[in-house]
Amino acid sequence: MSLPILVAILLPGLLFLGLSLLWLLGLVPGERGIARSSKGVALLSWILFSIETIPILRPLAAPLRLDYGDWFASGHAHFGLSLSVDPESLPMLWLAALLTGLVASFSVRYLHRDRGFLRFFSLLNLFTFGAYLVAAAGSLDVLTVGWELVGITSVLLIGFFQLRPEPVHNAARVFAYYRIADVFLIASVLLSHLWFGTARLDALSSGEVLSKGLDGTGRIHWIALFLILAACGKSSIGPFFGWLPRAMEGPTPSSAIFYGAISVHLGAFLLLRVQPLLLASGPATLLLIVLGAGSAFLGTLLHRSSCDAKTSLSYATQSQIGLIFVEIGLGWVWIPMLHIVGHSIVRTAQFLRAPSMLHDHHHVHAAAGGRLTPTGGHLEALFPRGLQIWLYRIAIDGGVYDTLLNRFLLRPIVAVARSLAVLEPSAPAVSGASSGNRSTPEHQP
Amino acid sequence: MAPAPERGTDPHRDLIHAVEHAAHLLPSQGPIGVFIHHNTLHAFQSHPFESAVLEASTLFNAQPFLSEAAYQAALASGRILAEDIRHVVHQEPDAVLLPGGLTRRQLHERILTTGVRSVPSPLLPWHLEEGDWLQRFRGDLPQESVLALTLSNDSPRTLWELAVRWTPKATPAEPASWRRPAEAIRASRGVDLDAVVHPLLIRLTSAYLDQGVSYWPMPDRDRGFLKAVAQVLSQPGLPDPVGLTGLRRRFLTLASENLSAPEVLHQAITELGIHPGDSADLITAELLALPGWAGMVRQLEEHPELAPHVRLRCSLLEFVAVRLVITGVATRNVLGGANAWRSIPPITRQTTDLSAQAAVFDALQVLGVGTESLRSLPPKSIGLLVQEILSFGELERRRLLHLAYERRHERLVLLPLRHHLRGSLPAHPGERLSAQFIFCIDDREESIRRALEETDPSVDTYGAAGFFGCAIDYIGIDDAGAVSLCPVVVKPAHAVGEAPVSGHDDLHERRRRLRRVWSSWTRSSRISSGTLFRGFASTLLLGALSLFPLVLRILSPLAHARLIRWLNARFLPEPRTELRFMRDDSESKEATQSLFQGFTTTEMADRVAGVLGPAGLRTGHARLVIVLGHGSTSLNNPHESAYDCGACGGRTGGPNARLFARMANHPEVRSKLADRGIRIPDDTWFIGGYHDTCSDDIDLFDLENLPLSHRGDLARVRETLDRARALSALERTRRFQAAHGISEPATALRHVQGRSEHLGEPRPEYGHSTNAVAFVGRRETTRGLFLDRRAFLISYDKDVDPEGRSLAAILGAVVPVCGGINLEYYFSTVDNERYGCGTKLPHNVTGLLGVMNGMQGDLRTGLTWQMVEIHEPVRILFIVENTPERALATFRANPLLWELLENRWIRLATVDAASGEIRMYRGEGRFEAVDGSEVDLPIVRSSSEYHLNRMDHLPIVRIQPREPQCA
Repeated sequence: MSLPILVAILLPGLLFLGLSLLWLLGLVPGERGIARSSKGVALLSWILFSIETIPILRPLAAPLRLDYGDWFASGHAHFGLSLSVDPESLPMLWLAALLTGLVASFSVRYLHRDRGFLRFFSLLNLFTFGAYLVAAAGSLDVLTVGWELVGITSVLLIGFFQLRPEPVHNAARVFAYYRIADVFLIASVLLSHLWFGTARLDALSSGEVLSKGLDGTGRIHWIALFLILAACGKSSIGPFFGWLPRAMEGPTPSSAIFYGAISVHLGAFLLLRVQPLLLASGPATLLLIVLGAGSAFLGTLLHRSSCDAKTSLSYATQSQIGLIFVEIGLGWVWIPMLHIVGHSIVRTAQFLRAPSMLHDHHHVHAAAGGRLTPTGGHLEALFPRGLQIWLYRIAIDGGVYDTLLNRFLLRPIVAVARSLAVLEPSAPAVSGASSGNRSTPEHQP
Repeated sequence: MAPAPERGTDPHRDLIHAVEHAAHLLPSQGPIGVFIHHNTLHAFQSHPFESAVLEASTLFNAQPFLSEAAYQAALASGRILAEDIRHVVHQEPDAVLLPGGLTRRQLHERILTTGVRSVPSPLLPWHLEEGDWLQRFRGDLPQESVLALTLSNDSPRTLWELAVRWTPKATPAEPASWRRPAEAIRASRGVDLDAVVHPLLIRLTSAYLDQGVSYWPMPDRDRGFLKAVAQVLSQPGLPDPVGLTGLRRRFLTLASENLSAPEVLHQAITELGIHPGDSADLITAELLALPGWAGMVRQLEEHPELAPHVRLRCSLLEFVAVRLVITGVATRNVLGGANAWRSIPPITRQTTDLSAQAAVFDALQVLGVGTESLRSLPPKSIGLLVQEILSFGELERRRLLHLAYERRHERLVLLPLRHHLRGSLPAHPGERLSAQFIFCIDDREESIRRALEETDPSVDTYGAAGFFGCAIDYIGIDDAGAVSLCPVVVKPAHAVGEAPVSGHDDLHERRRRLRRVWSSWTRSSRISSGTLFRGFASTLLLGALSLFPLVLRILSPLAHARLIRWLNARFLPEPRTELRFMRDDSESKEATQSLFQGFTTTEMADRVAGVLGPAGLRTGHARLVIVLGHGSTSLNNPHESAYDCGACGGRTGGPNARLFARMANHPEVRSKLADRGIRIPDDTWFIGGYHDTCSDDIDLFDLENLPLSHRGDLARVRETLDRARALSALERTRRFQAAHGISEPATALRHVQGRSEHLGEPRPEYGHSTNAVAFVGRRETTRGLFLDRRAFLISYDKDVDPEGRSLAAILGAVVPVCGGINLEYYFSTVDNERYGCGTKLPHNVTGLLGVMNGMQGDLRTGLTWQMVEIHEPVRILFIVENTPERALATFRANPLLWELLENRWIRLATVDAASGEIRMYRGEGRFEAVDGSEVDLPIVRSSSEYHLNRMDHLPIVRIQPREPQCA
């Protein structure tokens, strides 16, 4: 019973290794081979997950824990390789396999003849492997590995069009957000080992740990806080709000699978996995709800004023993920789970249709007889006019979030870096702005 | 804002003039929902092509021709021949360079045929120090040198030293003064001012122009851009964006001062330290820094009716004003004062002599001028030689290579045509034709016309501009509103509507209601998925429901399309409809739009005669005449309209074809036509139809009205059409890599249908890609030639046009249309990033107006890389079947045509079908006979035999199904 799951999880990782190896050996496989292997792997994984899902959804079935010994041990802290297949992880695995398979099928045509074809599919497979690891992780240790793989593939796909400055600039920016958030995840892993002697997800939710953590020391608050911040980074919530539109520089199918579906929901999924621990900490729960609600509100505000297809979708995604955070904070389990699944599917479909927006709008407009009902009269009508314009000003500047960040965090850092550069005469000048120089056009093959 | 006061009395006349001037240089592409092909360098059309592309390349920082490497590759593959280069070089002025006999032409020819070793200048030191440049000479030099000297015993190092000695020191160019603050600041401070100004400006402009993407439109758009922006940006209590401290205060002042737009602009320009009288350069440079958005503002200002949904007050002047006010704030942030950039000294570009020395070194090797000969030459001659080498720069080389490239194309087209005409033309069957087809002139219809003729030799095909003379304002039963179906330069004077036939009104009503329900369901589910609370419900509860269509759509686009068709057929009532196009009196104009409702019989006869007459369809029509308009359906394609019919203004030509057929069937029209010498037999029936050039589907209209006697003919025609469209689809698939290996017409047809339905397909079809020729003449002249879907075919019979009136009308319509298409493809190919819009993969639809890269970029204009990747950029070659004198006179009589021809934006040849004589226009009223025999005309059995499994451009051949007779 454990073997099929393990195979299904490893398949995309192995395919990534295979494709990379061929590339390193200078044997670039043809588009057809890449496409068939990627689609085949996704289909096989999906079938295996589907087979496993049926028995495990039976209410009395015990979750399946798979332990493969220690990854490494340091002192008495054991970093174990363990997977957990249970009613929470299986739907996520199933969904990830399904959507990556669909996106792979879509991309075969979409990226046909693009010079980054192999790169795209290699990264897509590596991402899938990472997402499976996060979903099936039995401990925070394993989850972190998957988490990092998802992060790095996400960044590399945002910067997919390497020859233009904007994608690279935005990819670097998203990378920075990810790294800062990752620090919190890694800190929580280390603290769990230090304080509770384990980072196993089942152990972290057990009464023993919870009572130990609440033991007047406030330890559980710290771990809960760090986990929430880590999740915020992945899901573009709260302090990490607003990077999602920057991620739209990549090709449309990667926007769909990462920021409409799987990657962006992994933050919420992490919280769902450690929900008992979060709920044990009152302040953390409150914070979770506040951050979620705030981001949901800001997300919908920005969505309302966005006037391009992808930004509009990314803020819409953001507002629903904010709501999912709130749902988790309220202690619900099945509602956020269903919300993740339903929302992922809807957004994937919408992202993949985004380039057809004109076509679709034309048809809807014609079918309505040329008279579309005007929008913008619901939430807005509740506010007085002056406030509306004020809110619009906030929306125009992306929630003023980047402005605050740039002004009060980045600018001081850059200033310090500049002043330190004086000590190092050979160092290149630090420049905060992206270069606007246009390179000569390079024709793609 | 008050409307701009009259010119002349205005104190801001200079400013307004400067904005107007800059506006000419902006891309003139309207909202992308209706894509009109036009000459990308329209603003330069009054200059000769060869100098205009260079001028524009400096101004727009763009490429004028293909890269030198591309031409060299063409030379290597035989696409350019050495004789083309010789010929082209010999059109240029000559001079003796060396007393030994080297002339400038020889120099140029040698350098072009051998090719320069071009290396980016930063890499030169490496090649000299680490590479083998000083160890050995180039390995690809021709055996025989011009001066009959060889380099075999020579030393590269010595030659290099001589080259260095003889190459004059470059004089540093006079530093150009800064045109705009961003340039000065980037050079002096390393700060990119555009990265500060553009995100905000793009956000504001896109929000202002938005046609319905955002749920919540920008407040107070009706007050104009300047006021709306000032109101938003002056909101209190929020931090200014980084690099724009003081932005709010600036706009607050603006909002309170209540100045007019020219006054604001005046203020902003003065603030930047420029006298308003000298503002032209600044304004031009600032507008060209973000040309896409500025151009869209301009288009909507000049043609508000282009806005697809929301008409807005647009003013380029207000846009410039806002841009410069923000730029002023940004400049002050960096430099402390808005005019401080003026005092930053221009920076002299560091010049290196190395690349000039390397060029001389390379050329000496190519010419075979070794150290010995250099030493023996008088210094004056060497100086002259070096100067000639240096003045033969990269752009000049590319210009000549391009001319050679076009010359070869010209020969590859004209010589086979000459062969063809000198051989025996396929005999016209004596009996009555089984059917006649009138297509649009579109190059994409060439393959299906040829396939029809191959399938059934007793059919004839004709080409006429795809609106078939019917310039109409049309509204169909499923349409939102009326649209103009005619070339953009024509303003339709007649309205035609589609309406259910009597008795089908309630069906129509039910259809409308169902479509409304579908529309509001689709729209509200889309909107609700984005909002907060409704989104919660819809994504949580209904999200999974969208899984099934998504899976089906992606895994099997055709099955999804079939399902939708089945659902429509099952549930959506389909009323029979007819066109309302009859008008009795000539006066009834619809009051509001001043359009005539429909046509009188005389007007109808005019239109029918206008198409049939020039095409030579005057008598002896077949029993069925099929008139096919065209368009293209695809998904994942914001540029969908660019694939539609150019003669219908970027829309689909089905209604025009339907209307034309109905008119031509009208008995009164026929009797009026008979008076004009067009005698349509009583048993001839016209059928209108629609050809989808992407899926190769063909619909025929109004078949209910077809007389019973013609049902049999129709069945036969249908069969022929079905076979031909599959053959044509097969021919199209040869260009698609993804369709590699398809050899069955039916499979090919399914393949192209799948393309049209695929959500992720970036190349639904290749559009006008590869277009290169427009033939104006009788089909008999080109029938049987495999033209590879690269030629517009316009039917014109000179025998019925002794006065050349039809020729004038035809050329007047098709030259600008075909020329515009061709030039847009040319420029989007030679510089896909600047003139085109790059790869479509990162494109993001903005405001239903256009596409930009990522989330905040400039609006991209021109064609996508996926549209032009197989295009061969040559100027279109018009081949007119008439005398050179007549053709020239016709072009001369029309200023627009004359401008295009005399400035060589198009090429022209005339052909005499009887003698096979072809004459090529060489400018200044001079024609030159085309002869030569280096290109022959092979004969093949069928098109598919010739093209199967071949992806590249194919030379013209003659298709002869039966055993070749004496050729």
